[in-house]
Amino acid sequence: MAYDPIYRLCRIHSCTVLNESYSMLEIIDDEIAGRCEPGNFVEIKPYKAGSVLKRLFKPISIYKVESDSIFLMIKALGRGSKELTKLNEGDMVELIAPLGNSFPMPTGKSIALVSGGIGYPPLWFLKSRLNADIKVRWFHGGACEKDIFPCDEAWTIDGSAGTKGLVTQGLVEWLKDHPCDAIYSCGPEALLKALAALCDTHNIPLYVSMEAYMACGVGVCHGCTVPIGTKENWNYLRVCKDGPVFDARDIRWELI
Amino acid sequence: MNLLQTSLGRLPLFNPVTVASGTFGTEYGSFYDLNRLGAYVSKTITNDPKAGNPCPRLFETEAGLLNSIGLQNPGIDLFIKEHLPLLREKLSIPIIVSFSGSSVSEFRRMLIQLDNCVGISAYEVNISCPNVENEGIAFGVDAGIVSELVKTLRAETERELIIKLSPNVTDIASIAKSAEESGADSLALINTVFGMAIDPKTGKSRIKRGIAGYSGPAIKPIALANVYKVAQAVQIPILAMGGISTWQDALEFFYAGASAIAVGTASFYDPLAPIRCLEGLETYLKDTDIPLCDLIGSISF
Repeated sequence: MAYDPIYRLCRIHSCTVLNESYSMLEIIDDEIAGRCEPGNFVEIKPYKAGSVLKRLFKPISIYKVESDSIFLMIKALGRGSKELTKLNEGDMVELIAPLGNSFPMPTGKSIALVSGGIGYPPLWFLKSRLNADIKVRWFHGGACEKDIFPCDEAWTIDGSAGTKGLVTQGLVEWLKDHPCDAIYSCGPEALLKALAALCDTHNIPLYVSMEAYMACGVGVCHGCTVPIGTKENWNYLRVCKDGPVFDARDIRWELI
Repeated sequence: MNLLQTSLGRLPLFNPVTVASGTFGTEYGSFYDLNRLGAYVSKTITNDPKAGNPCPRLFETEAGLLNSIGLQNPGIDLFIKEHLPLLREKLSIPIIVSFSGSSVSEFRRMLIQLDNCVGISAYEVNISCPNVENEGIAFGVDAGIVSELVKTLRAETERELIIKLSPNVTDIASIAKSAEESGADSLALINTVFGMAIDPKTGKSRIKRGIAGYSGPAIKPIALANVYKVAQAVQIPILAMGGISTWQDALEFFYAGASAIAVGTASFYDPLAPIRCLEGLETYLKDTDIPLCDLIGSISF
């Protein structure tokens, strides 16, 4: 990453409820917006005037950057993310951004995006920055209808939207008669693991954005690590600082 | 007059606000000038590189943070070769190197190696990490072993020797006295408290290794009681840590007998916590026109 992260108070410019689980926050900050690359994330938490909220920041992927606006898609999961989805226009948040590395831009002409649930946002940001001549096929899966967002192929576990089944089933079918130079993915660990095995078999480069429980978000605490390296020589690298994007071939999946 | 002036044994500090080992790094230099701190404390290093514990290593509870990092670090050789020069280049404040060994002789070899390096003002001897097998707390629970270790290290260095104590012992005062009698310049306390969390839906431990170290607001009263107890038992200065996030928290520890404090977990929920703490103390001491040293240990009942 070329820049140091910025820590500052920001105002919520807009907060849109997407459905009962997801909300979209918009923050306007030209300096931060100018530094964001696809794959980067932010650390964010509500700000309460006069008192420091003694809770950790939440790591949230960047969904979209348009001129000076940074968009964050939030899924209400635990206490911290639930609070974020309840923010209103004009509320203040504390923000540390941008953080982490970014996706390597594709060198080939045809790629696939594979996301699961709240793994959707970083791939949208990536897609928005791709050259127009790159062919993209986006597979997105979720537990049910509310996890589904615009894509080329949707899959749900309960069949309430798209095709019933796992998103990897769609990818396997598509790979049979389509060339693919690289796959980019973000989602639950089980999805990433299955994809890593699949890409290994097909010999396709796979870049994954890893989720992790974080404390500092800036590389200090070593709480959010993944095992990276060869079978014989690996080390725990930090998702927040060395990642969140890793080449799936470098991840020791058997240790996770 | 610098109302914030304090000292830890032979180490004078321009101000009493330091940072807790393992919760800090030069990354925070993105947000403020690190040289405003009283001292910088490194993440604990061990003789050999340490991979650390498997994930999940973290879990936030209602009132604090569980961690089980397991002293992940590059080992002493790489620390001396790459990390220390970087710290020296970036920092003009005292650098306190935290280290831990798996035997008295390993502690001794490490200290000798570090003593050959310029730019180190003090050692924080970590005998209290709850998250490793062989280093850490294995040494901090027995007054006899603490005595042997401190005597051995004292014989090898003229630099400030800070012994970091665990609250996970029956009688912290006896361990503290043992360290003092054996030549420690000062004591750092407390390291994290044993803690655990389990997912009630699945029965699965929130932390892969099970029992972890607990820090943050929840442990402040525990830290305060331990600092008070130790301050009553020894004459040497105390570097206090455990749930300190504001200047008011810091004041409590000075009243209990601490000469300096460290901000730890608070940096994770407020990257500016150490600086806010420092500025708050500065304003308070100016307004009341009381030098910090007059407050230390002046608790009333």
